[in-house]
Amino acid sequence: MLSYALRTLTRMALTFFVIVTIVFFATRLSGNAVDFVVGEGITSEDRELLIAYYELDKPLFSQYLAFLRAFTDGQFGLSFIERRPVSQIVLERIWPSAQLLLSAVALTLLVSIPLGIAAAIWRKSWVGSAVMMVAFLGYAVPNFVLAIVMVLVFSYWLNWLPVVGNGTPLHFIMPTIAMAGVLIAALTRFTRNAMLDVLGQDFMRTARAKGLPEGRVIVKHGLRNAGITILSVIGLQVAGLAAAGSVVIEAIFAWPGIGDLLVNSALRRDYPVLQFGVLTVALAVIVINAAVDLAYAWADPRLRHTVQA
Amino acid sequence: MLRLLLSTALAAGFATGLAAQEITVGAANVSSYLDPGRDHSNVGSQFYYNVFDTLIDKNHDTLGADWQPALATEWKLVDPKTMELKLREGVTFQNGEAMTADDVVFSLNRMYQATFPPYVVRSRDRLSNFVKAEKIDDLTVRISVEKEEPLWETLLNLQQVMIIPEDYTKGLTGDPKVAEDDDFEAFSLAPVGTGPYRVAEFIPGERVVYERFDGFWGEKAPLAKATVQQIPETASRVTALKTGEADIITNIAPDQLAMIESDSNLRTVGSATPLFHVMIMNVNHPKLRDPRIRQAMSLAIDRDTLNEALWLGKAVVPDSHTYKEFGDLYMPELKTFEYNPEKAKELLKEAGYDGSEITFDTHPTYYTNGMLAAQAITEMWKEVGINGRVNIAEKWSGGSPDLMARNWSNPMYFADPFGSFGVMWAPNGPSEGEGRFNTDEDYAKIWERFRFSKNVEARKAAYAELMERIKQDPPVLPLYRPFESWAMRKDVVWAPKPGHIPYVLDFRAGSISFASN
Repeated sequence: MLSYALRTLTRMALTFFVIVTIVFFATRLSGNAVDFVVGEGITSEDRELLIAYYELDKPLFSQYLAFLRAFTDGQFGLSFIERRPVSQIVLERIWPSAQLLLSAVALTLLVSIPLGIAAAIWRKSWVGSAVMMVAFLGYAVPNFVLAIVMVLVFSYWLNWLPVVGNGTPLHFIMPTIAMAGVLIAALTRFTRNAMLDVLGQDFMRTARAKGLPEGRVIVKHGLRNAGITILSVIGLQVAGLAAAGSVVIEAIFAWPGIGDLLVNSALRRDYPVLQFGVLTVALAVIVINAAVDLAYAWADPRLRHTVQA
Repeated sequence: MLRLLLSTALAAGFATGLAAQEITVGAANVSSYLDPGRDHSNVGSQFYYNVFDTLIDKNHDTLGADWQPALATEWKLVDPKTMELKLREGVTFQNGEAMTADDVVFSLNRMYQATFPPYVVRSRDRLSNFVKAEKIDDLTVRISVEKEEPLWETLLNLQQVMIIPEDYTKGLTGDPKVAEDDDFEAFSLAPVGTGPYRVAEFIPGERVVYERFDGFWGEKAPLAKATVQQIPETASRVTALKTGEADIITNIAPDQLAMIESDSNLRTVGSATPLFHVMIMNVNHPKLRDPRIRQAMSLAIDRDTLNEALWLGKAVVPDSHTYKEFGDLYMPELKTFEYNPEKAKELLKEAGYDGSEITFDTHPTYYTNGMLAAQAITEMWKEVGINGRVNIAEKWSGGSPDLMARNWSNPMYFADPFGSFGVMWAPNGPSEGEGRFNTDEDYAKIWERFRFSKNVEARKAAYAELMERIKQDPPVLPLYRPFESWAMRKDVVWAPKPGHIPYVLDFRAGSISFASN
C-alpha cells in the first residue's frame, strides 16, 4: 500500500512538471500580453517601453526560469493587469469554486445513488423507465442551457431566486443544480448498471439465502460492491467538472470563481494568472484522481491484494 | 411559502436600500485596476469621476466647455506659457490627509515628467506640451508648457491629471520618501482621491464599492453606498435588474431594449456614445497604396443602412470626424465621408483595381455588432466590384504590415478634436507608429496650426485642411457613434450626462436621485 501511494505521488509530481512546462509555452504562443494590457493603438516606441517594463523582452528561456523561480516566493509572480500577487488572486477565487463543486457533488450523491438503485431494482417497472428517461434527458441538456432556463423561470418570471454572486445559501441553488445536472444523469446510469451487474452475482443469492433482509442485502452486499465502479466514475466526472465545467456557469451567475478568472486571464493574456490558475486546476484534478486511486485501492480487496504482491 | 419569504426579504431590501440611499449597478465589466492616470479604457472611465477631482471641472449638463472651479478656485496666465492656479482651501483626501500644493504638484508631475511606463504612454499622446508643475506657496501652483497652449482648461480637466495624495502614494511600498513604480502599481488597487465617494472595497474585475465621503469639499454625495458588480452575461444582468439585485444595469444591446421597456417597473436610457466605430485602412499595404482604392472602399459603404440594420437607426452617422461635444469646434459642415457607389466604381476603374482580395479583420465579439458590420461591409464592397473577405481573429492586427482593413474605435478622450482624431492620427501618433498611416512635413505643419493656434477659427480652418488630407488619402472611415443603453428601476433617476466622456457612471450630487413612488 505504501509503495503504491509513493508511486502515485511520484506520478503526480511528474505530471505536474509536464503541465507547468506546457502551460508556460502554450500561453506564449497566442500573442503578446502587452497588446492586451494597454489596448489598441500605441506607438511602437511606447509598446517597446511597456514590453520592457513587463519584462517580456527577455529571452523565452530566461522567462521560463523566472517563472519556475516564482514558485519559490509563494506569490507566483505578479499579475500583468492587476499587479498584485498571483497567489492572492487565484486563492480568493478557489474557495467559491470549491464550494460550488462540493455542493454539486453532494447533491449528485444524494440524488443519483438512490435513483440508480431504484432504477436497478425496479428495472422492469415504470419506475425504472421513468428514472432512465430523466437521466438520458439530463445527459442531453448542456449545463449552460439548464442554467439559462432556470434563470428565466425562477428569477426572471417567478422572482424566487437571486442570480448574481454567492452571497447567501439561496444563491447556491441554481448554480449547484446546473453544475450537478449532467453529473446526476451520468451517475444515475452508472449506479444502475453497476447495481445490475452486482444484483445477479452469486454472493447476492448467498446473502439472501442466509436470510438477510432485502434492504441489507442491497446496501451492504450490493452497493458495497457496486461502489467501486461508482467511485471511479465520480472521480473522473468531478475532475472533468473541476477543469472545465464551471466556466460557463460561473459567468452566468457572476460567481467569483476560478473558471471565470481563467477565461478572463486567457482573453487578456495575463500569463502569470493564467499559468497559475491552470496549474491550480491541474493540481486539483491530479489530487482528485490520486485520491480516487487510493480510495479505489482501499475499497477493492482484489486491488489491495495485487498491490501488495 | 418560499416565494413569500423571498419576496418579503426582497421588499425589505428595497425599503432599506431606498432609505439608506444605496444602489447596486450591474456592469458588464469592472476594471482590473483603478488609477485615472494610466487608464483611458472605456471600462475604467466608468469609475473615476465619483472618487477623484481635477483642478478644473466642467458643467456636464451641457455640451461644450463650461469650466467650473474644482480643486482650483481661480486660474490665470501669468505669462503666455505659465498658468497660475489658486487651490481650494480645506480640501481633504478620503484618507484624512489635507490636500496641499505638494499633492497637486506631485499628481501633475507624475504625468508631465512621467517615469512610470504606463504614465509615460498616456502622457506622450496628450500631455506632451506640459513641462512641469511647481509649488509657489501652500495654495498656489504654477504650470508651464513648452508652446503656448490653447487648451489649458481642457487638458487640466482630463482624467489623467486627477489629483492623488503624495505621502499616501509614496508610502505604499518601499521607501516612503520616493515615488517608485511599485507605489503606483499599489495605488491602482487602493485608490484615494478627494471626490465625494471613497472606494470602500475593490475586488479587481469583480466589484467596486463606493461609500459617501463625508469630508468632501463640495455638495455631499446623494448615495450612502453604491456597489458596481460585474455581471458579464447580458441575460443575467437583465434578470438581476428584474429581481431587484441590481438597480441600474449597463451595456444593453439595442435588440434587448424592447424586452426591458415592456416591464412597467423598468425603464431604459440611451445615447449615441461619443466614440466612433471606425474602419481603418493600411495606406502602406502594396495592394492599397493607390488612394483611389481606399477612397472606393470608403465610398462603397452605406453607413445609414448599417445604422438602420444593426442599430435600429439609433446610432449616429457622421459626415466628418467630428462630435457635437466639441462645442465651437464641432464642424458638421465638413463633408469628409460619403456614400457614393458610382464614384467608387469609377475610382476602382481608374486605379486599375485587379480584383485581388481585400481582407477586413474583426474580433469576433469586441465591438458590439462589429462582426455583422464587417460582413455587411464586404457585401457592400461586392456591389462595387471589390473582392472583400471577412477575416475573424482575436489578435489585434493594426500593427501588422499585412493589415488591409479592420475595425477599430476612436473614442472621444476629451471634448476637442485633439481628444479624438488628434490622439489617434497625430504625426508620430499611434496610427503612424503602427505603420499604417503616413504623415509628411505639410501634414505636420497643418497639425501644428490645428493644435496650437489660439484662435478658434484658425484651429477650425486647420482641422478642415486635415480632414481634406484624410479625404484625399483616406486611412480611416468613421462608421457611426454606437448607441449605448442603460436600464434601471423606474424610480431611479439617472442618465448619462452629455458633457462627460463615454461611459462615466456619475453619482455625484445632482446626477442621481430617486423619484417618490
